[in-house]
This record gives sequence, C-alpha cells and structure tokens, in this order.
Amino acid sequence: MILAFLIAFPLLNLGYRFLSLAITTGVTAIALYGLGIQFGQAGIMSVGHAAFVGIGAYTAAIVAGMFGIGFWLAIPLSIVMSALCAGMVGLPSLRVGGQHYIIITFCFCALLQIILTNGGTFTGAATGLDVGSIDHLFGINFDQLRNIYYLVTLVLIICLVTTYLIINSPYGRTLRAIRENEMLARAIGINIGLHKIGVFMVSGAFAGMAGILQAYYLRHISPILYGPFPSLYLALMIMLGGSRLIYGPLIGAVIVSFLPEIMRLDPIDSRIAYGIGLLIVVLLLPGGVSAGLLDIYRRLRPRSLK
Amino acid sequence: MEIFFQQLVNSLSVASVTILIGMGITLIFGLAGIVNFAHGEFLMVGGMATWFLVSAGINFFIAVLGAMILVGFLGFVAERGLFRFTLERPMNGFIMSIGLSVILQHVVIRLFNEVQKTIPDPIGQVWVVHGVDIIVMRAIVIAITAIVVAITYFCISRSRYGLALTASIADPDTAALMGIPVRRYVTGVFIYGSVLAGLGGALMIALFPITPFTGSVVIIRGFAVSLIGGLGNVGGAVVGGLLLGLVDGLSAGYGFPEWTDAYSLVLMIAILIVRPQGLLGGTLGPKAS
Repeated sequence: MILAFLIAFPLLNLGYRFLSLAITTGVTAIALYGLGIQFGQAGIMSVGHAAFVGIGAYTAAIVAGMFGIGFWLAIPLSIVMSALCAGMVGLPSLRVGGQHYIIITFCFCALLQIILTNGGTFTGAATGLDVGSIDHLFGINFDQLRNIYYLVTLVLIICLVTTYLIINSPYGRTLRAIRENEMLARAIGINIGLHKIGVFMVSGAFAGMAGILQAYYLRHISPILYGPFPSLYLALMIMLGGSRLIYGPLIGAVIVSFLPEIMRLDPIDSRIAYGIGLLIVVLLLPGGVSAGLLDIYRRLRPRSLK
Repeated sequence: MEIFFQQLVNSLSVASVTILIGMGITLIFGLAGIVNFAHGEFLMVGGMATWFLVSAGINFFIAVLGAMILVGFLGFVAERGLFRFTLERPMNGFIMSIGLSVILQHVVIRLFNEVQKTIPDPIGQVWVVHGVDIIVMRAIVIAITAIVVAITYFCISRSRYGLALTASIADPDTAALMGIPVRRYVTGVFIYGSVLAGLGGALMIALFPITPFTGSVVIIRGFAVSLIGGLGNVGGAVVGGLLLGLVDGLSAGYGFPEWTDAYSLVLMIAILIVRPQGLLGGTLGPKAS
C-alpha cells in the first residue's frame, strides 16, 4: 500500500512544491535509515550524521569537478568514502561510550564544517560547490523533477529492504546483543570492536548515498548543509519517528518535512512545534511515533478479534 | 611584547565567560548527571534578558541580576518539568535537551528577531597600564568570574552541602539512606548551573554582540572546557577555560584565525580519547546507557 502510494504520489499533481518536498524527505529518510541501524539496532547514537551525508555529497562534487566523473560512477565512490570516514569516526567509540561518544560525533561534525569552509577552492569554501545534472541512463532524462523523485524512491525502497534484511539477519541480532549488554555480548564471543566499526560503516554508506542524491538534486552544496545543526535535526527526526522499527525513520522524516507544510506554519513556528513534539514523544512515547502507532494497533487488534 | 600582553588580557576576559559556561556544564553533567545541550541557549537567554532590561533603561548590574534570576527559574522549570523524568535514561534526557535548545532558540527569534544585539559598554573606561589598554568592563568580568569560581570551589569542596552532594553522586542510594535529599540536590545543582549560564550570558553581552545562535557556538566550547578539565571538577573547568581562552586569543593574534574553533574541537576529541576522565580527573558523568 505504501509502495503504491509512493509510486502514485507524483501523479496526484500536487505541484512543484510538494514534489520537491517529497524528494527532500526521501533523501533525508535514506540518511535516517543509516542512523536507524546504528542507533536502533546497535544502540549507538550520533549527532554527527549529517557529516557523512556531507562527505558523500562533497565526494561526488569533487570527483565531478576534478575528473569529470558523472553521477552513476560517483555513487560507489561516495558510498565508500562516507563509509570509510564513518568507520574512522567510529574508532573512538571503542574507548569511550555513551554520551561522551555523542559529544565526539558532534565535534567531528563541527570540525568537518570548519574544514569544508576553510578548504579553499578544493571545497569551494563557504559558498560551496556547484554540481552538474544526472547523466541520462537507459534514455531516462533526470532533468525532470518527477524522474529524480522516482530515483530517490527507488533508492529509498532499496534502503528499506536492506534495513529489513539487516534487522532480520544474524547480523542484526548480533548488533542488538551489543546494544542490550555489551559485556555479555563480548563474553559469548562477539567481536564488539569489529561490529561497532562495521555498523558505523553501514550507517555511513547510507548517508553517503543520501549525500550524492542530495548534491545532484540541489545542484549546489555548501558547508552549512552539513554542520552540527542538520545533524541535530537528523537525530531529532530519528527520535521522533522511532529507530527500532522498519518504518520509524521514514515516519520521522515525513512528519518533520510535511507537517509544517500541511499546517502552514512558518519555519520558526514549525521549529518550535518540532521541539515541543520531540519533548512530548521522548516523555510519553520513548520508542518514537512508529512504536506508539504499533502499540495502539496491537491494543486495538485483539479487541476486534473477540 | 605589549601586543602579547594585550592579547593576554583580551583572552583572559574571553576565557572568563568560557569558564562560567564550562563550570555550569561541568556541575550539571558531572554532578547532576544531566547532559544539558540547551545550556548554551540558557546563556543566550541570559544575554538577551540583559539586553532587554538594559534597553529598557535599567542599570546593567541590576539587569545582570535579573538575567540570573530568569535563567535560574528556567533551569528550575526545565529540571522539574523535563529532566526529572529521564534521570534513569540519560540518553533520552540528552535528546530532550536538544529539543529544548531548538525551542528556546526559536522562541527568542520569535520574541525579538535574529539580528545581533549589543549593549553599550556599561562602564566605558579604559585603564592604561604600561602601554597595555585594559577595558575596565573586561577587568570586571574577570574579577566577577574569579569570585564566582572561588565561591563555587569552596562550597563544593569545603562545605557540608558540597560533601553531601559528592556523596549523592558517588552512591545515590546510600546517600539517600543517610538522609540526604538526593533529588533536591540534583535540582539545586541544575539551578545553580543555570544561574551561572545566565551570569555568563549577561557578562558576555557586555563584551560582544549576541545573536540567538550564540548558544550553539558556546555550547561546544562549554563541553570542551568541562570535558578537558574533568567532569564535576570546578578547578578543571577553570584550567580548561583558561587553556581554551588562551589558545583562542593567541591563535587569533598569531596563528590562523579561521581555524580558531577547530583547535578547541581537536583538543577535546584528543582528550576524550586519551583521557576520558579529563586532565584533572573528575567523575565519569552518568553511566553510559
């Protein structure tokens, strides 16, 4: 049903504004799925996730600018680059845990923004870099917004399926074991370090994919997009949507992007509403909106069966 | 040499504000066990309140008191209304504080606007000591910080309340059995830290302009100071603040000013990895969840 809705969405002809909003949401959701695996399954929060989106975007922009490598070839490069950086940032997590590590991720993110801003012509400094358009593939012209939408949707579905497979695989169970009890997991022979770095790299790979899509969708990237604040918003979205369930990140992204638009709030009010919503969710629905919905569904179902 | 001393004096006044915010964070994080990401916003609110009161024609020093009371009350509401419920799950408290900082930031933009605010120098005098210009306001900021640091240090390490506080961090259950109202101490520390943020904001606006986004810049430095020095360690916060203030001030004068913010970040990451307990040692903060 959701799939049908996703495909039919552009056919509703809601206009340019909603379609571009949907693309932004999709890109955000792709990045969120990475964070969802990291936080929901392995239990390691990060408030520096936008940094990896940024690394993916900048990798794509830089290889396009210097070597003329187009969108399709740059995808693996962006993904690998983001995954490697995520793995590197993940290294301190072997030594420090919990909130200290979150603060480290935040620092790395702030650091990346400073590096990008001071990178001179290589990173385009504060103004950023321009990116070309997506090359034609199989005769599909990606200059049309609708086709970019379908591309993003396709990637999003791939991410959904990947997340589903990871959650239901022995690998997902290993990660959950680490989340629940690190000592116990270590005692039964799970290589904690390897799996932690691994999950960072998976998470970074998702972010890299989101980054390259964002770069080619916006056609212009700048350091401000990937600083600490976008990262904080990603973290808030994942909390709002819920990280452990498969639709959680998608719900988080949709709520945050579409609700202000539907309720016609201006950006400042919507941020305030967003913050208040987050406080309510954390206090009342610790599993996020998706877990809350599931809970309501479970409570209603047996009654209807009786 | 005179330029060096000039830089030193200026760095010291910057360091004072950094020490104040770092001390608030170190107390709240290390002793109350709450990671308050909205602490920078508390500081910003303090600065904005001072600006508002001074613009309304009230004397600067009374405005400072007003800002401290307002931010202290804000801390009281935040602790009783929000963080109280997440003491068992610090990670949720952390996320909530991010939400709180978003709210405060945008409420301030809504109430005023996002243009930077300044107040005229409340004293407006300059001392000249051996060719070094010392703006009197900066000297006052340094003096106030020194007094506050001394008071805090003695209260925590010498008074019986400080002892009770230390006990309730070391072992909350036993401390509660000994008749220490642990939760009340947590609230108290939170409010005290918030008051320090209010003071920091009020003093900051006397030195530099403040925008609604100042809080987010300051919070990173605050965490850097408290983690470098060691959580819950007032002396550590002073050392961390001086270190960062001097590095910043001197790099602005001699090094690469555009990388100024990067130094504190790199220093903080390095110290967190090599010595998670901080330079001078402290509590490890709340248990990792």
